[in-house]
Amino acid sequence: MKKIVLYLIVACCFLVKASAQDDLLKDLVKDDSAKVKHDFATATFKSTRVINMQSVEMTGAGNLQFMISHRFGQIWKEGKGWTNVAQLFGLNAGAANTYMSFEYAPKSWLNLGFAATGNAQLESWAKFRLVRQQSGAKNVPVTVVLFSSLHFDGSDGPSPDDYAWNRFSYLNQLLIGRKFNDKFSLQLIPSFIHYNIVPYGINNTNNVFSIGIGGRYKLTHKTAISLEYARQLNGYKDLLDESASAVNYVPDLVSIGYDWDTGGHIFQFFFTSSNAATNIAQLAQNTNDLRLGNFSLGFNLNRSYGIKKVVNTP
Amino acid sequence: MKKIILLAFTFIFMMNLLNAQTYKTRDGYVYFNPNKDLTHKDYEAASKEGTGILKVETSEVAFLVPMKTFHFNNALLEEHFNENYLESNKFPDARFSGKLIGFTKDQLTKDGVYNISSEGKVTMHGVTKDFKAPVKLEVKGKVATFYCHFTIKAEEHGINIPGLVKPKLADLTPIDATIKFQLN
Repeated sequence: MKKIVLYLIVACCFLVKASAQDDLLKDLVKDDSAKVKHDFATATFKSTRVINMQSVEMTGAGNLQFMISHRFGQIWKEGKGWTNVAQLFGLNAGAANTYMSFEYAPKSWLNLGFAATGNAQLESWAKFRLVRQQSGAKNVPVTVVLFSSLHFDGSDGPSPDDYAWNRFSYLNQLLIGRKFNDKFSLQLIPSFIHYNIVPYGINNTNNVFSIGIGGRYKLTHKTAISLEYARQLNGYKDLLDESASAVNYVPDLVSIGYDWDTGGHIFQFFFTSSNAATNIAQLAQNTNDLRLGNFSLGFNLNRSYGIKKVVNTP
Repeated sequence: MKKIILLAFTFIFMMNLLNAQTYKTRDGYVYFNPNKDLTHKDYEAASKEGTGILKVETSEVAFLVPMKTFHFNNALLEEHFNENYLESNKFPDARFSGKLIGFTKDQLTKDGVYNISSEGKVTMHGVTKDFKAPVKLEVKGKVATFYCHFTIKAEEHGINIPGLVKPKLADLTPIDATIKFQLN
């Protein structure tokens, strides 16, 4: 009996010794605290824009992003023949829209932006991230962002001449995006546009609705192709302008782009069926028929700067 | 007789406890700046969510830090870090396991600063490399803090840095790790 007990004790000792030599790292990996609590989907899109429209991507906290967005003329105007070649397929057409914007992120979920374009057109906006795609402790399949912008027409145009309020229009968008895998992301974009005064003022509606979809597919770490389609749902047919002649807008907006991330900058080259610079004009005042020659070349170029320090130096 | 056996078992049990004197912590801080110019603040990155384990009797240590917990001053660089360089979805963490050399358990009971060193293996981006670096241990009351400054060569870990970025980055990335253990 005594012997057996002794053996048992010795055996126990060995067991203890053996378990002590188990890999510590395995303990750590098994431990829940070693795992990321909220595994957020990052880089759903390369840039804060899909192409024309906002993406669910936000400028990072404490960062200022500067973006220049440029749209050239139509690549092949109907009936213009060789002039189109001389105009270098729109590059040299004398009609181009530039959109310059600054975006700052005081919080990781909030971006504030200001932009200027064309003929005294000014815009400012706020972008709120409501829900973030994640796995881990919580499972959320999509990222939802509310984009709300204010457009001010400061030009000497014919209609918004009486009251300052007439010069304002608003765009509210819900951006619902999902990163399906490392390469493929998709986003749904319902929009609501409100004009304080109806453009040209006659027989039109103040409220325009539109629905859009955008996606990107990564080719390499640094390049991706992107696609965007939006359709205006109301208020584009048989409108009357000031001289009471009929105007029809084109409800479809199609864009195809190529994203290139150089490390410091993000370039987005694209073909788009509307060469307007602002989202409101693209979604609710598009005059370009969906014809290949009507597409125009454009690019977005953005760069972000770390303004506020978020990292503590040891 | 029975008493002796009971005593023996109790003794073994106690030994066991002593033997298995391990400390765990979630207070691991890792900082680095890969830029050649260390004053370039955009490139600074840090994680406050490293986890560590220390087995006193055998001087064994292990440390793990999830890649996605690193935050940069410039959010775009953080995205590149995860997406292009470290491929954090494929390789979610960096790991170290090894031994402390010159470490004794008495050091934990007496306040002071001890210069020891550490040897082991680091796994990052799916590649394991030998690791050796001096460690400073500071014991103050019930807190033991390990400071370690070391360098890592990104190329050795299969991290591909494009030619355009290379001139900006140091060949050896200096890394500072601070791991705090609460002793009881």
